[in-house]
Amino acid sequence: MARVRSIDGLRGDQPYASVAARVVAVRVEELREHATGVLELDDVEPLHDMRVASRRLRAALEVFEPCFPPKRFKAALREVKSIADALGERRDRDVAIAVLCEFADAAGAADRPGIESLISSLRTEQLEANERLRIAVTTERLTELDELLSGLVAEAERVGSEATGVG
Amino acid sequence: MKARRPKHLDPRGPLAENAARIVKTRLEELRSFAPAALEAGASREQHDMRIAAKRLRYVLEIIGFCLGNEAEEARHRARDLQDVLGELHDCDVMLPRVAAHVEERSAPELAPGLEQLRAHLETRRGELFDRFREFWDAEEGSGTWEALERAAKARR
Repeated sequence: MARVRSIDGLRGDQPYASVAARVVAVRVEELREHATGVLELDDVEPLHDMRVASRRLRAALEVFEPCFPPKRFKAALREVKSIADALGERRDRDVAIAVLCEFADAAGAADRPGIESLISSLRTEQLEANERLRIAVTTERLTELDELLSGLVAEAERVGSEATGVG
Repeated sequence: MKARRPKHLDPRGPLAENAARIVKTRLEELRSFAPAALEAGASREQHDMRIAAKRLRYVLEIIGFCLGNEAEEARHRARDLQDVLGELHDCDVMLPRVAAHVEERSAPELAPGLEQLRAHLETRRGELFDRFREFWDAEEGSGTWEALERAAKARR
């Protein structure tokens, strides 16, 4: 799993809004960095990494909510949630299939057909979830989200600068 | 589960004061699910507590650095709690799924494996619930959450 990027130079005496701008900007970059290869079914790690990145971005937005203009914040959060949900739906199937495959490998011959039948049903759902994910992570949609979030970061930077009397 | 909203946050104010208010809210939210979640069959409350643990963990990951070592310790424990409750939740999701699959596919050759899986998940759920209870009692006993509460209070 990709490690979370640390953000140097943050301090408790800095304005809440200035920290919001820095943290959200880094978490947005992380989301974009992990957007490659998520639709692959043979290697489920890229999807896992993007899912973790989406959860961290969502958490950062929620922690810093008061630092952003409410209307644009709601729109951005709704979009991040939508992407995170699509990633989660696929991930849930990836994990369940892996666990059941392990269980089937350890099971006796008489027990395998039942477990494999359930795995087969989950594989169908995995494909369906992947198709929904394909729509959620198009380049156009991610670019629009990027622009929306860049606007929020700029606004938080402005508020933070006002608080410190800079800019 | 809808998150409680922290009060009196000020975007222009220092991060540490705002962080303390947010952590206080998230911690209260987490602790509000005990003792209800400590009942074996309370899967709804256990699920809600998992979400609350996840929220606290992420909050501490982002802004816990201004609350000192107590926050770092609590972040680890929130992650542990989220992990055990997450596994418990996985069992709660899979058990009805297995039952539904048995009903959908009535082929007799599928029954032994699905019954074996159901029994395994029931046992696993019981073990995870015991682990969760022990964990919660241990953390209450060692004062992890109280220490975090004090650390937050000192900075408000």
